[in-house]
Amino acid sequence: MQFLFSEDQDALIEGVRSFLDGAHGPEKLRALDGTPGDGGVWDALVSLGLTGLLVPEDQGGLGSGLAAGTRIAVELGRANVGQPIVDTALIAAPWLMRKGATDRLADIAGGGCRIALAHPINPWIADLDGADYLLGDDGLIDAPETKALNTVDPLRSLFAPVDISGSDDLLDLAALMSAAQMLGATARMLELATDYAKDREQFGQPIGKFQAIKHQLATVAVKLEFARPVLWRAAVALDERQPRASMHVSHAKLAATDAAMLAAETAIQIHGAMGYTYEVDLHFWMKRAWALAGAWGDRAWHFNRCDAAVIGGQIALGPDQTFESEFNNA
Amino acid sequence: MELRYTDDQQAFRAEVRAWMGAHVPREPLRTLECEEGFHQHVAWEKTLASGDWGMVTWPEDYGGRGLDLIRWLIFEEEYYRADAPLRVAQNGIFLLGPTIMEYGTAEQKAAHLTPMAKGETIWAQAWSEPNAGSDMAAIRSTAIRDGNDYVITGQKTWSSRAAFADWCFGLFRTDPESERHRGLSFILVPLDAEGVTVRPIRQLHGHPGFAEIFFDEVRVPAANRIADESEGWNVAMATAGFERGLMLRSPARFQAAAKRLVELYRENEASASPAAHEAVVQAWADAEAYALNTYSVASKIMAGGSIGSEASLNKIFWSELDRAMHRTAMSLMGAAAELQPESGENRWLEGYIFSLSGPIYAGSNEIQRNIVAERLLGLPR
Repeated sequence: MQFLFSEDQDALIEGVRSFLDGAHGPEKLRALDGTPGDGGVWDALVSLGLTGLLVPEDQGGLGSGLAAGTRIAVELGRANVGQPIVDTALIAAPWLMRKGATDRLADIAGGGCRIALAHPINPWIADLDGADYLLGDDGLIDAPETKALNTVDPLRSLFAPVDISGSDDLLDLAALMSAAQMLGATARMLELATDYAKDREQFGQPIGKFQAIKHQLATVAVKLEFARPVLWRAAVALDERQPRASMHVSHAKLAATDAAMLAAETAIQIHGAMGYTYEVDLHFWMKRAWALAGAWGDRAWHFNRCDAAVIGGQIALGPDQTFESEFNNA
Repeated sequence: MELRYTDDQQAFRAEVRAWMGAHVPREPLRTLECEEGFHQHVAWEKTLASGDWGMVTWPEDYGGRGLDLIRWLIFEEEYYRADAPLRVAQNGIFLLGPTIMEYGTAEQKAAHLTPMAKGETIWAQAWSEPNAGSDMAAIRSTAIRDGNDYVITGQKTWSSRAAFADWCFGLFRTDPESERHRGLSFILVPLDAEGVTVRPIRQLHGHPGFAEIFFDEVRVPAANRIADESEGWNVAMATAGFERGLMLRSPARFQAAAKRLVELYRENEASASPAAHEAVVQAWADAEAYALNTYSVASKIMAGGSIGSEASLNKIFWSELDRAMHRTAMSLMGAAAELQPESGENRWLEGYIFSLSGPIYAGSNEIQRNIVAERLLGLPR
């Protein structure tokens, strides 16, 4: 039992964060506004190995597990990177591996193909324009052309639905990675609001000296702190195909949604009227959080799944049930 | 990331489970806040000690088993799974014990740790004063050096367990000219010393769970001071860190309560509101999140890390979770929530009353939010 990432994984995260801080900062987001794509960082993310992160080593990847994948998704959410990388490398790749469909994995690892995702729970398809394939319940099909739609998120492109069936396998992976991106967005919104509170002066002092400001930000920090480990457990459970994995994913999506929505509302309040403008950067993350909160099962959908498990009696409850083990399941 | 228990850890769980199954009292004890319940709980501490379960993480030399934090979590899970009594020894084993382990002399360790782990000495806290609550640096009680002794004069209040405890520990001003957090020392005082008067205070539930302590020229040996003179503030902050941090409220306690809350919901499903239904699921989710976070912190500490101001995040989370969980139980019970049974206690009502103190003791949650904002987020003081 060790609930801790290795130093190697920490180093990878540091590297990705520092790259994205430089290459995908607020200036980049403003430049991409309205014409989203991969933000020109796709090739760099490929060379960092991220498209092959979850792909087995014999297919040219790094062979990491979903827990490492969610950590990368957190960083991509923190930098507000468009979704082709998450959808292709962190959702489609593990889905294909789990189905034994290995023929495109080397291509994915090498950065040579982009995959959009389709599922009836959120029939509008994100980032279909740059995609080579569309992944549905039956596997990969050539990306169809459908009508472009408008979304509130200026860094996300959305397209009209296609007729496709969907299962929980894809939904669980995508909900997990959506939760991860939302926690990244939460962390960034907390940073933005904290920085603003240190800088903005009223009544002759930074507003961050006032307890009314401090306490709101502290409450967001608490939400974020206690959502993270829920995400890690879900990732490990899904990776190991544990019986309760779907419920853990739903718990993670709930916790991440609540953290992100609280962070967004708190951050806009602390920015005051500036927060209500298009001029400060906050809105990019806020709108991404709104989009992800509804995607891949909204709060009610995931709540119901937890409800069925907990009150519906599908799982054993109690202090010895935190992790699945032979002893606990006996 | 390795979220599976080893065979050894599983065997340890089985050992704890078997012992608890054989020893946990079948009838619930009275509340430890009343005299009868206090003594019942002290007797339970001695039973625990007879199985060497007093404080499993402590070295064997001090009545412990020298186990790591993962095994401590397993122990706690089985402890609360068995619905074992609350720990009347908690001020000693969770707060003063770790403080003495870190700052105490060999003599102090030898004198105090083993009796603590064995339930032979029950400790009270003596921090707050009438004019020093959240602003603890406003402490005025003095301990004036006289030869090899200190002579203590002043008043402490909200002193948990003091009504029935044997000793207290707290901060006293050893430099009478000093101000604020300078000039304070951390001193241990036997509550039967001449000049000590303990006046129990009735708490919200009617029992004397805490007390005022009056010190009228109480003479204690200077050897009762932990760490150097005037270093008391730093020692107290470390103790407060233990209190808010990992050990005081182990997650198993809340997971066990969440399980009972689900059972209460099922019994009252027909009359439950949708809001209560949602709150029950949320209580489960938050208790799980707290447990996961504790495993994460324990793993970090075992790998050589430490917790500092992060302890404040913990304290905010568990205290507000506990209150929400018990509020939900009160709502599910409806009109029956107020009833006191003829024998024993209305457990949810007692728990709700106790949960209201959680956001206040161990540093109010307003103070905790200041700490998070200033020390973790870097906002200006």
